[in-house]
Amino acid sequence: MKGKHRVIVSTKYLKYDFELKRNLTIIRGESATGKTTLVDMVREYVNNPSGTPVELVCDKKCYVLEGALWKGQLSEISDSIIFIDEGNEFIRTVEFAETIQKTDNYYVIASRESLSTLPYSIEEIYGIRTSGKYGTLKQKYHEFYHICRMYG
Amino acid sequence: MLNIYYGNMKESVYNTAAYFKYDYEDSWIVDPFVKEMIQDVDQSTVLDSGVIDSPVLGKIPPVGLSGGVKTLILVKFEKDKIFNASTCGDNCAKWLLKIAETEDRTVNLLHLMDFGKEPFTVHILNTDQIVHSMEELVSIAGEFV
Repeated sequence: MKGKHRVIVSTKYLKYDFELKRNLTIIRGESATGKTTLVDMVREYVNNPSGTPVELVCDKKCYVLEGALWKGQLSEISDSIIFIDEGNEFIRTVEFAETIQKTDNYYVIASRESLSTLPYSIEEIYGIRTSGKYGTLKQKYHEFYHICRMYG
Repeated sequence: MLNIYYGNMKESVYNTAAYFKYDYEDSWIVDPFVKEMIQDVDQSTVLDSGVIDSPVLGKIPPVGLSGGVKTLILVKFEKDKIFNASTCGDNCAKWLLKIAETEDRTVNLLHLMDFGKEPFTVHILNTDQIVHSMEELVSIAGEFV
């Protein structure tokens, strides 16, 4: 899988709209910006194809990878976009890094960890920011923004 | 004081959201300190022990709080456990310091959390050194994450 792929995930009240440019995208940033909600919405859409209030528009299939059976799940998926939320210890392993390099999927990983085993670009580290009116039932719009931090 | 171990730590609880789900107590949610934390980090208002009003998600149960706030609550109330605080964003840093102001707490960090520009006190367990600024902290902790 190559090139740019736009992903739009929405419900009546929330909307995420972003473009993935490389096979590894990392989402970081402050707490309560909607990282887990994004993954939850993708999971809801994938797991309930016969009826869900979540809409997902993308030219590729999207999945959520999680838990102890990650390797088996991954062996069934190709040419897709895979979302992984924080709390999945396998993302730190060499086995995971080696496995995903043999796949043609794109990966979106929510994690603040250094993830030294994964060959991601500093250009593909994003946060999520929200716009839209709080306190109303208007749809809140979420977009990705670049994160690049230097110390010293 | 806040003690931090940087890098992989066997004893620490990695998936704090899963731990919170089966461990939190109603009384924790209505604790005034926790209410303030939830308001500050999640911009959400605790209505009672089981309902929180979120500006984005509407009325949510405590398990719907952000991963960062859930970890902060665990750090506050589960004093003898060590939690992976890399589930917390930089907007949680001041709360970690506040929780550890009066009682010692130990957390595990897998990234360089930004504790801000104001002087602070953190004990880095890896090298048994105490630091008071991000400059000092990064020069030591940077080797471990």
